[in-house]
Amino acid sequence: MDALTEVELKQFVDSVRRYFSVITKQDPQITSAFLGTRDVQGHEFNGLVSFSGSYNGHVMVSMPAPMLRELLLMQHETDLSDPHLLDAVGEIANTLAGNARKTLGAGLEISVPVTLQGAAGIQARVRQRPYVITLRWNHQPALVFVDMERRR
Amino acid sequence: MRLMVVDDSNMIRTRISRVVQNGGVAGISLVGLARNGAEAVRIARATRPEVVTMDLTMPEMDGVQCVAELIRMLPEVHILVVSALSDKSTAIAALKLGARGFVSKPFTDDELKLALLNLMEAH
Repeated sequence: MDALTEVELKQFVDSVRRYFSVITKQDPQITSAFLGTRDVQGHEFNGLVSFSGSYNGHVMVSMPAPMLRELLLMQHETDLSDPHLLDAVGEIANTLAGNARKTLGAGLEISVPVTLQGAAGIQARVRQRPYVITLRWNHQPALVFVDMERRR
Repeated sequence: MRLMVVDDSNMIRTRISRVVQNGGVAGISLVGLARNGAEAVRIARATRPEVVTMDLTMPEMDGVQCVAELIRMLPEVHILVVSALSDKSTAIAALKLGARGFVSKPFTDDELKLALLNLMEAH
């Protein structure tokens, strides 16, 4: 297995920016991007998409409830219940994963999203050294974990 | 024209419905919302949609299988793929299957409206 290149990792940062810019017309602030460890502290709502085919691993999006409620309100959604917040974070993970195909190629197979409520859910899924993107949007923090490698 | 929206995300189903129902696309009425391909086929049998927006990555029956099945059932149906799979080969594959258009997620309301209007004009 090979680690992702800088270009491949940057594509996820660009996808996060693009998601918020397109959906909210408000750019997020990417506050950091680094190689993390298993001791990561996620947020309450988490969406995970697994990769297979030419890559192995997953991408996870971790967001607090206020951010997700704001994202839904901006799209004129009125049901802000926990199931809908989970659905939203799952769809964001799906979008980032699907967009990755543009750079990583059609050999990247993506799963349907899995959603997890509770910060502990992230720790159970993170492997050894995820690439962590931290961001702020509308004064709220969020995390994107890119935990994947290329098959040889 | 009768529209069915197919997507496993409630946020996307709601959003596309809102764009269409708030008069954003004249001449279109929403006849069904499906959470996966299998549900879409069941709903399509009853409502016979003329236009369908279709996600590709879904449980129970994915969008590729669903496109093929809907075109078999309703040869005149116009399918707009709305997917996060933004590589060119996926778009080409969807069009070869019989879809008439492709919108990449994330999309703006205007992008969706334009794609639906183009689809309706071609119908």
